[in-house]
Amino acid sequence: MAGRKRSKIWLRLAAFGLPALMGFAAIALLAFNVSRDITRLNSASSDNIQWTLSQTEVEFLQFDLALSQAQLEEAPDFRSLRRRFDVFFSRIRTLRQASIYSDLREVPEFAANLATVGAYLEAVVPDIDSETSALQEALPALKAQSEAIRPDVRRLSVSGLNYFAVESDFRREAFSGTLLHLAIAIAALVAALAVLACYLAVLNAQNVRRRTQVIEASERMNIVTSTSLDAVVVADTLGRITDFNAAAEQIFGYSAKDAVGCDLGELIVPEHHRAAHQAGMARLRETGEKRVVGSGRFKLEAKRANGEVFPVELAIQSADTKEGEIFIAFLRDISSQVQAEAELVLARDRAMAGEKAKTDFLATMSHEIRTPLNGLLGNLTLLEETRLSAKQSRYIRNMQTSGKLLMSHISDVLDITKFDAGKLRLQMVDMNISTLLKDIVDSLSGAAAGNGSTLEWGWAGAPLNWVHADRDRIQHILMNIVGNAVKFTKDGRISITAQSSAADEGKTILQISVRDTGTGIDPGLLPHIFDDFATGDSSYDREVGGTGLGLGIAQRFVKALGGRITVVSTPGEGSVFNVSLPVQAIAAPEPTREARFAAPARKRANVLLVEDNEINRQVAREMLTAQGHFVTEAHNGREAVEIAEETGFDLILMDISMPVMDGRSAARAIRTGGGASARTPIIAVTANAMAEEQEAFLKDGMNDVLTKPLTREGLLQLIADHPSPAPSAPAGAALRSLQLIELEETVGAEALQPLLSRFEAEMEAFLKGLENGQDLAANETAVEAHRIAGSAATFGLPELRSALIRLEKAALSQERQAAEDALSPLRNAWTSTKPVLNLF
Amino acid sequence: MLHIALKTIAICLLAAQPLAAENLGQPSGEVVLTVSGAPQTGNAGGAAQFDLAMLEGLGAVEFETSTIWTQGVQHFEGVPLDQLVDRLDITGTTLRATAINDYAVDIPLSDAVEGGPIIAYKLNGEEMSVRDKGPLWIVYPYDSKTEYQSEVVYSRSIWQLDRIEVIE
Repeated sequence: MAGRKRSKIWLRLAAFGLPALMGFAAIALLAFNVSRDITRLNSASSDNIQWTLSQTEVEFLQFDLALSQAQLEEAPDFRSLRRRFDVFFSRIRTLRQASIYSDLREVPEFAANLATVGAYLEAVVPDIDSETSALQEALPALKAQSEAIRPDVRRLSVSGLNYFAVESDFRREAFSGTLLHLAIAIAALVAALAVLACYLAVLNAQNVRRRTQVIEASERMNIVTSTSLDAVVVADTLGRITDFNAAAEQIFGYSAKDAVGCDLGELIVPEHHRAAHQAGMARLRETGEKRVVGSGRFKLEAKRANGEVFPVELAIQSADTKEGEIFIAFLRDISSQVQAEAELVLARDRAMAGEKAKTDFLATMSHEIRTPLNGLLGNLTLLEETRLSAKQSRYIRNMQTSGKLLMSHISDVLDITKFDAGKLRLQMVDMNISTLLKDIVDSLSGAAAGNGSTLEWGWAGAPLNWVHADRDRIQHILMNIVGNAVKFTKDGRISITAQSSAADEGKTILQISVRDTGTGIDPGLLPHIFDDFATGDSSYDREVGGTGLGLGIAQRFVKALGGRITVVSTPGEGSVFNVSLPVQAIAAPEPTREARFAAPARKRANVLLVEDNEINRQVAREMLTAQGHFVTEAHNGREAVEIAEETGFDLILMDISMPVMDGRSAARAIRTGGGASARTPIIAVTANAMAEEQEAFLKDGMNDVLTKPLTREGLLQLIADHPSPAPSAPAGAALRSLQLIELEETVGAEALQPLLSRFEAEMEAFLKGLENGQDLAANETAVEAHRIAGSAATFGLPELRSALIRLEKAALSQERQAAEDALSPLRNAWTSTKPVLNLF
Repeated sequence: MLHIALKTIAICLLAAQPLAAENLGQPSGEVVLTVSGAPQTGNAGGAAQFDLAMLEGLGAVEFETSTIWTQGVQHFEGVPLDQLVDRLDITGTTLRATAINDYAVDIPLSDAVEGGPIIAYKLNGEEMSVRDKGPLWIVYPYDSKTEYQSEVVYSRSIWQLDRIEVIE
C-alpha cells in the first residue's frame, strides 16, 4: 500500500522532472548556440572578408596607378608594375578558389563580376608577361582596359559587401531568434519548476498533515492504552518489558518505572508456569514459531507483586517495529469472574440437588402412599367378592370410590411434578380417536345422566380415526374437560365435536371442542381457569368437588403435546373448551390387536409373583388364583432369581423396590442367567410411574410395566398381552399343568404331592437303569415303560407318555436299534416335564 | 655518467654558436626574405637576407593540409618557423611579417614550435609565383590541430611574404 503510494509519487516527480531535465538540455543547447553565435559575431572572418573585398579594389587601383605612372615616366619601374599586377591577380585567384568564398560565389551578381574581372586578367596577362619594350608599347592599351574594367572591379567588391551585409543581418536575426528560443525555453523551464515546486509544496503539506495525524493517532493510542481497563504489557523478543500501562500497574502492583526493562517471566509469570514460558520464548527466538501469539483469548494464571497468583484472560499479538518484533499482551484480571462462576456453579448444583431431592421425595411419597392404598383397594376388591349384606356392599363401594379418588389426586400431583421438572415423557402409540371419544362418553354418560344431562360426540367434517399420539395424555386431558363439563352441567347438554385439519410438515391438527350448557365461568375467574388449585368456588360448600388441579394438568399435557387449549364462557349459558393438538395421521392398523384385546386367552398361567409387601403379595396372589392361574411367590429379588433358575414360568410379576435385591437387578440376573425362565416375560410392578424409569425397566430386560395399584382387569389384560411362555419353559407346560391342577383340586394337594414324588422317583430310577446298561430290548424294559406310561397319562403328560410307548414297542419287538433311538426323546421329554412336577 | 652527459651538452652548445654565424652565407639568387631585428646572425648589416636556396638549406618540412583559401588538400613544403628562429638565434617575443603589398601581421614567437607553422616555398611540389601567393607563404598545419582553425591563425597565415622583423 505504502510502496504503491510512494511509487506513485515518484511517477509524478518523474513526470515533472523529465520535462525539467529536457528544459535544461534545451537551454544548454540554446546557450551553446548563443555562445557560437557570439563567437561568430566576435570573429574577424567577416571583417577579414570585407577587408579582402575592399583590398581587391585597393590592389586594382594600385595597379592602375602604377600603369598611369609608367605612362608618364621615361624609364618606368616595370618590376613594380608587374608585382602590382601579380598581387591583384593573386587576389582575384583567391576569390575564385578559396573555399571560404564558395557561398559568395553562389551570388550571381558577384559570380558574374568575378568572371568579368577574371576574363580581363586572362586578357592582359600576355601583355604583362611580354618583353619590357612590348609592355612599354602596350601601356596605353592596358590603361584603357583597366579604365574599362574599373567599374566592374568596383561592383565586384560592392556586390560582395552587400552579400555580407545581408549575411550579417541574417546572422543577427538568427542570433536574436536563438535568444528568443532561449528565453522561451527558460520561461517554460521556470514554469515547470514552479509547478514542480507547487507539487512539492502540496506533498509537503500532505506529509505534514499525515505526520500530525500519526502523532494524534499515537497520542490517542497512548490515551487508550493508559485508560484501558485491561492490562497492556509490551515486551520484546527477549522478554524484556518495554511498556506497562496504568491498568497493568494496578493489576500487578508494579509501577511502570519499575516494570519496564524487567524480564516479563520473572515479573508476572507464576513459578509453576515459568519453565513453560521460558521454553516458549526460547522457541520463538530460535524458530519463530508462535503458539499463543495471535491465537485469540485464553485463560492462564499470573502473579502479582505480593506473590498472589490469580486467573487472567489474555490475548497476545505481535507487531513488527523498527526495533524488531514486539509482543503486546492484553490481560484481564478475571479472579472475581472466576469466583462468581464458581459460586454460580455451586448455586446451580445446590438448586439441582434441591430439585432432585424434591423429585425424589415426591416419587418416594407417591410410592409410599400408593403401596398401602394399593393394599386397601385390593382387599376391598377381594372383600367385595365375599358374601356381603347390601349395606356392607354399599360401604365397600364408597370406600372404593374414595380410594380411587385419592389415587387420582396422587397421580395428578405426581404428573404436575413431573411436568414442572421437565420429566414428562410422551408415549406415542397408534390410537383411534373415535374409540377414545366413544370410551370417554361411555364412561361419563352415567354421571351425565345422573345430572339430567345428555352427553354426545361426533365429527365435524371427515373423521380422522387413526393417529400416532400419546393416548394416555389425550385421554387424561379429555377426561378432565368432559368430566368438568359433566360436573357443572345440570339438566343440559354436553357435546364433543372433533375436527381435523392439515398443518405443516405432514402434521394434522386435531381440534376437539367440548361445549356445555352449564353454569359457565365467572369472567373474573376465566383468566385463572388453568391455574393450579383453581376451583370455581373456593368456599367449601360448593356443589361440586375437585382439587382444582384438573385443568392445570390438562393445560400442561396440551403444552407437552405441542398444542393449545382455550376457553370461551358465558356465565349461565355455558362454556366451550377448545383443544387443538398436532397429531400424525396414520392408516388404520391390522385388526389383530383389537381381536386380541377382545378375546383374552382363558388359559391358566404359571406366574412367579415377586413382592416384598405381604399385603400386596396376598392381594395379587388372590386375584391371580381366583382366575385359575398358578402363583409362586418370592419375597425379594434373590429368591426370585433362584426360583426362576430352576422353574420355567409363563409370567413373572416383579416389584421394583425390594430388600436384598431389587426388581431391576433380579430381572437382569434372570435374563442373563440362562435358567429355565430366562426368556419368560417379566412385568415390572411399580408405584413409581416416571416414564424414564419405565424405559430403564425395559432396558433391564423387562417386557412391560404395571402401575400400582393392581387391579383385576389390569392383571388379566397383562396376562393376555403376554400369553406365550418362554421357549426354554416346558412346551405345552401350561396345558399339561391344567390337568395336574384339576387333579390337585380333585384329590387335594396333600394327596397329589406324594404321588408325584413317587412317579418322579420311579422315572429317575428307570432312566438310571437304562443308562447303567439294562438291556433295552429286554422284556422287563417294555413292561416297566408300559407301567410308567400309564402314570404319565394319569398326570396328563402326553409327551413323556408317547416317548415311553415308543420305547416299549421297540423293546417288545426286540429291535435294539429302534430302542436306542427311542432313548434320547424319552430323556428330553423327562427333562422338560420334571420342572412341571416340581411346581406342586 | 651525469657528469659526462653535462660535458657533452656543454661542448655541443659551444660548438653550435660560431657554426651558425659562419654558415648563413650570402644570397646568390634573388633575395626572397629579409629578417631584421636579429643582429647577431645578420648577413646584411643587422639583417639576414635569404634567397630560395638558402631557405631550402635551413631544412625542409612537408605536410598536407587543406586551407580556407584553396580547394581540397594541398601539399606544402617549407622551412619550419622554429628552425628559422633557432638558426637566427632570435630571442624576442613577437615577429612582424610583412607581405609584398605591405600587408603586415604580428606573429608571437610562441607560435614557432616543432609541428607548427612553416615558411612554405613549394605548393604541390612546385615553387609558387606571386600570382599564386608566392614566393613565400606562412602556412600552419590547419588540419592537424583544431586550434590552428581560428581566425587569428588565418590572419597570421600571410602569403606573398618578403620581410620578417623581430619587433620585441
